[in-house]
Amino acid sequence: MTVTTRARRDRWISVMVFAALAGIWQILSVVYTAEAQPGEPMIAGWQVLFTKTFLTLSDYWQGGLGVSAVADGAERSYLAALLSILSHSIDTIGRLSLGLALGGAVGLLLGLAVSWSRWTRRLFDWPLQFLRTLPLLAMVPLFQLWFGTYFFGEVLFVAYGIAVIVFAGTVNAVRNVPPIYIDNARSLGASRWTLYRTVILPAIFPAMRSTILLSLGAGWSAVLGAEYLGAQSGLGYIIVYAQQFAYLDRMFLVALLFILYTSISYWAISRLSARLLAWAPPSQRR
Amino acid sequence: MYNPANSRMIELVHVNRVFQRADGQMVKAVDDVSIVIKEGEFVCLVGPSGCGKSTLLQMVAGLIEPSDGDIAVAGKEISGPGRERGMVFQKDSVFPWMRVIDNVEYGLKCRDVPTAERRDIARTYLERVGLAHVEKAWPRELSGGMLKRVAIATVFASGGSVLLLDEPFGALDYVTRHQLQSVLLDLWNEGGSAARRTVLFVTHDVDEALALADRILVFHSGRKIDDLAVTAERPRFTDSLLLPEMVAIKHTLLAHLGLEKRAAPPKMAAGERTGS
Repeated sequence: MTVTTRARRDRWISVMVFAALAGIWQILSVVYTAEAQPGEPMIAGWQVLFTKTFLTLSDYWQGGLGVSAVADGAERSYLAALLSILSHSIDTIGRLSLGLALGGAVGLLLGLAVSWSRWTRRLFDWPLQFLRTLPLLAMVPLFQLWFGTYFFGEVLFVAYGIAVIVFAGTVNAVRNVPPIYIDNARSLGASRWTLYRTVILPAIFPAMRSTILLSLGAGWSAVLGAEYLGAQSGLGYIIVYAQQFAYLDRMFLVALLFILYTSISYWAISRLSARLLAWAPPSQRR
Repeated sequence: MYNPANSRMIELVHVNRVFQRADGQMVKAVDDVSIVIKEGEFVCLVGPSGCGKSTLLQMVAGLIEPSDGDIAVAGKEISGPGRERGMVFQKDSVFPWMRVIDNVEYGLKCRDVPTAERRDIARTYLERVGLAHVEKAWPRELSGGMLKRVAIATVFASGGSVLLLDEPFGALDYVTRHQLQSVLLDLWNEGGSAARRTVLFVTHDVDEALALADRILVFHSGRKIDDLAVTAERPRFTDSLLLPEMVAIKHTLLAHLGLEKRAAPPKMAAGERTGS
């Protein structure tokens, strides 16, 4: 049996599992008909989720683009629901991406700084190891009071959550770079700057791949956590709002969106990093 | 016959290196070693493992510092690694994230040699070591022997006048080792005796030292215990290794390594080198 047919068969297994889960959910919705409140089933079937529930998401559309908000007296519509999902997703994903970029860059630089010289180690290592141990979600109110609840505060909070993970991962990865590569570069005349650019950075990349995927997961949690606790927009905000009225179907629909987005982000990052790791043996690329 | 220029290319004066072991005990890895090596000389350092020969080489490379004593290369005291000294390691040192040709260019790139020029130089040396056909390959696609060829091409391309090799062929099979020995000698010899680079070659293989060296320094417990001249013509094939003088040197080396009980008698092998 060739590798490709085996891969195709494996993919079929995944699809089957996915379909089976959806089927089980549908059966449960028929069998278990309890309601959280009148008209709000604990388990909403797919026919409800993609019609009634989807429509209700237009409640969160704040108006604009020629489509009025439900709060201003407009009827619920699929267009408003779609715009609502798009705008809240953009808010969440925007916060996440900026936070990832900022936190990743800061964490990487500080992590590299720890090994740069004895001075920078003294300066950064201990305080950052200390910051790392602070529980992330406990810091949300602080960030919101300092930096506001709309955008800046959320981004900084995500960046903080990412930075501490990337920092720890970088310090560890740099420690594990085989000394022979460093000796070789130095004996060939590399300056410290060249050494970091051409040896340390590529050498830590295989180890950083798992750190990046880890921090992506943490980033999704951080942005959601930040939105639960006070943001005025975003997918996390919809969930909190829905929870207050026990709209279980809406919460479930948003959760499905999350599953979709996180899967896409994981897939994109692992594709990208696999391409950047073309030099590494296959075992390090998966 | 090879006639070295009479300059002091590498000079070690009363060099010591002390390590602290995990149990707190101090160990003398290199104990009061003084050596003068002439320009263009091919010197092998031989001794049992743990005798300090690799430590000595790493100090000349500038990768570790002597506890005491001075090391000068081309008349200048060294501080840290320098471009005039290239190093080949026992373990694979080729960067896996760079293609073969980029590895060979690395030293030149560190010196800001223009792209086109360094590519030419790198191609030349890749060809010399017989790897012109894999210049775009990733190192993971090469065998251990090919990786050693890349490492050798890299140090030659980067143009240092001193080459330091730390048991470079120790992990290779018999055939590959012999092939690489002749690749190394060919490169060393390519411009005639005037253009030869100075080579310090650490090995635990007595036959390898006999095949390559102008001069063999023997180490034991951190001390230099013998300094033997090898004057046989190169290239040295099986028959050259059977010449009486070579056999005598081999007996001496084996006795130093504790593999032969009888003390080696030959006059011509012991003591200072006779060639100059």
